[in-house]
Amino acid sequence: MATVTFDKATRIYPGTDRAAVDKLDIEIADGEFLVLVGPSGCGKSTSLRMLAGLEDVDDGAIRIGDRDVTHLPPKDRDIAMVFQNYALYPHMTVADNMGFALKIAGVNKTEIRTRVEEAAKILDLTEYLGRKPKALSGGQRQRVAMGRAIVREPQVFLMDEPLSNLDAKLRVQTRTQIAGLQRRLGTTTVYVTHDQVEAMTMGDRVAVLKDGLLQQVDSPRNMYDRPANLFVAGFIGSPAMNLVEVPITDGGVKFGNSIVPVNREAIAAAAEKGDRTVTVGVRPEHFDIANGEAKALAKDEPAGVAVTVNVVEELGADGYVYGTAEIGGEQKDIVVRVGGRQVPMKGEVLHVVPRAGETHVFSTSSGERLSD
Amino acid sequence: MSTPIKDPTPAPADLGPAPRPRKADAPARFADSGGVLNVFSHGFLALWAVMIVLPLAWIVLSSFKTDAQIGGSAWTWPSHWSFEVFVRAWNKGIGGFFLNTVIVLAFSVALTMLFGAMAAYVLARYEFPGNRVIYYFFVAGAMFPVYLALVPLFFMVRNLGMLNTYQGLILVYVAYSLPFTVFFLHSFFRTLPTAVHEAAMIDGCSHTRAFFQVMLPIAKPGLLSVGIFNVLGQWNQYILPLTLMQKQSGADRDHSMLTQGLVNLALQQGYAGDMPALFAGMTIAMLPVLVVYLSFQRQVQAGLTAGTLK
Repeated sequence: MATVTFDKATRIYPGTDRAAVDKLDIEIADGEFLVLVGPSGCGKSTSLRMLAGLEDVDDGAIRIGDRDVTHLPPKDRDIAMVFQNYALYPHMTVADNMGFALKIAGVNKTEIRTRVEEAAKILDLTEYLGRKPKALSGGQRQRVAMGRAIVREPQVFLMDEPLSNLDAKLRVQTRTQIAGLQRRLGTTTVYVTHDQVEAMTMGDRVAVLKDGLLQQVDSPRNMYDRPANLFVAGFIGSPAMNLVEVPITDGGVKFGNSIVPVNREAIAAAAEKGDRTVTVGVRPEHFDIANGEAKALAKDEPAGVAVTVNVVEELGADGYVYGTAEIGGEQKDIVVRVGGRQVPMKGEVLHVVPRAGETHVFSTSSGERLSD
Repeated sequence: MSTPIKDPTPAPADLGPAPRPRKADAPARFADSGGVLNVFSHGFLALWAVMIVLPLAWIVLSSFKTDAQIGGSAWTWPSHWSFEVFVRAWNKGIGGFFLNTVIVLAFSVALTMLFGAMAAYVLARYEFPGNRVIYYFFVAGAMFPVYLALVPLFFMVRNLGMLNTYQGLILVYVAYSLPFTVFFLHSFFRTLPTAVHEAAMIDGCSHTRAFFQVMLPIAKPGLLSVGIFNVLGQWNQYILPLTLMQKQSGADRDHSMLTQGLVNLALQQGYAGDMPALFAGMTIAMLPVLVVYLSFQRQVQAGLTAGTLK
């Protein structure tokens, strides 16, 4: 067990100017499950491969526990990795695949057998130990890859999108299994995914990357409730948060026909930078449907924003309304979550008001969070 | 012989009124339009097969004939089937030549594969300055015909004192086969997944171990294809042994290869005619190649199409 530290770790691929991973600074606690998430090309896999020793570190350092592993070869780092396509050895049986690392380490045969069998039991692979990988299903191969990692009892597990080759149902199932297994073993884990649902459900903490830059590291809850900037706000959550640019007014910002209260200093800070607008973010579930009850800014109009329904997605428990609204003279796409029993019809007009205390305000120019 | 391509008159049952699903229709229509082409191409292939198979069959059949029959009509059938002629051919020196060839090939093919695979792997998988240059040097080796190098090669081998020795011919065979082997395996190693190699590195393999225990077994189809190609090429090699494996003195042992032996057998015919033995010798020479090819045919095909799979 060990902590993992990225200390301003930087990777610049030869022949490019821009860093693929730019001064990555993360401290991962002992036994923590950290998920690196971001759109493709954001540097999350590169970060993981730097930790694995498969990618050079051009600047900064990486430490596992107190050991500086920045320039150590992979085999000296005491890590195990699960690859996206599993990278099983096709010519070896499942048992040999799982025991290969131990065999190289010179562990004696009976010990290898007991450890492999133990891992196989945990992963429900006992009856497949004699098979070759090609005779296994995708889910079984994935478990063998997991088994290969846990048999070694390494200090750190690295997982590079291990679920992306599974079908949707199996992915959800395996997701909980992996998270549960990690909690049971208590091994520090770094997990890469592009799927923010996976990130939110599995991680103790989530790190969002974009263009090689770390955007935010936080618990899933905080990530959702207090995104640090516009990018995180738009990336975390499905469907995404509604982000609307609105003008600054006295005592807050005007959102349609109502006022969203925002910290005075934050507004002042934004105004100082010369911004006339800020970006307000409201999650689909934080819109209340106002039927003339909420306090309206202009007396003769109903409160909130008038959203014309374009498409309704019914998910059973609730429904998502995709509509357009005219805000500040521009047509904006708005997503609103409604109860599963009160789904509006296409073409209807809803008046929605963002719930107080559940709005997010970001600086339009820098993207930084302004509200608390 | 002929392959049934398409029944020109469909069975009446096929013309039943029941409408068949479109999906089943599509391939049938495709075959319809290709019918003429199919007849033509299959006819051509059949002709080609006859051209290849007939002479070979004729050689095998001739080894069962007598001198008189061989001298007579080419279309006569052997009158008695006796394997005694093969024993005679074997004792006439074919046996010794056969053994020489097997000894040389056992080493030359093994070494070609080992060195070729190692060179190709490093060139395909590791980035280092001069990587491309070395690769092109290897490939360039396949570009010029062996005849151009025969004379310098002869003197080189003579200076090394390796004329008419197994090791001399083995080394020359290895050098001669490396370009194509490296060329083929280079592209093959490129198609293998990098993640498996990375997994091996993380599992604690050294580069050597990752190569021998992980990458080579995965590359088996490619190794088999190019291995068989090398066996065929070296087994049938004539000009190199002719140049390098001549007896240098009267006391020198005869290390002739099978191909040389067969030519000698043919040349002797002018004096002591034993045509059946010659044909039997040729049949013996064909057999190992045939056996090798047939036993690995499936893997060869897998190897040649490896790039297109997965």
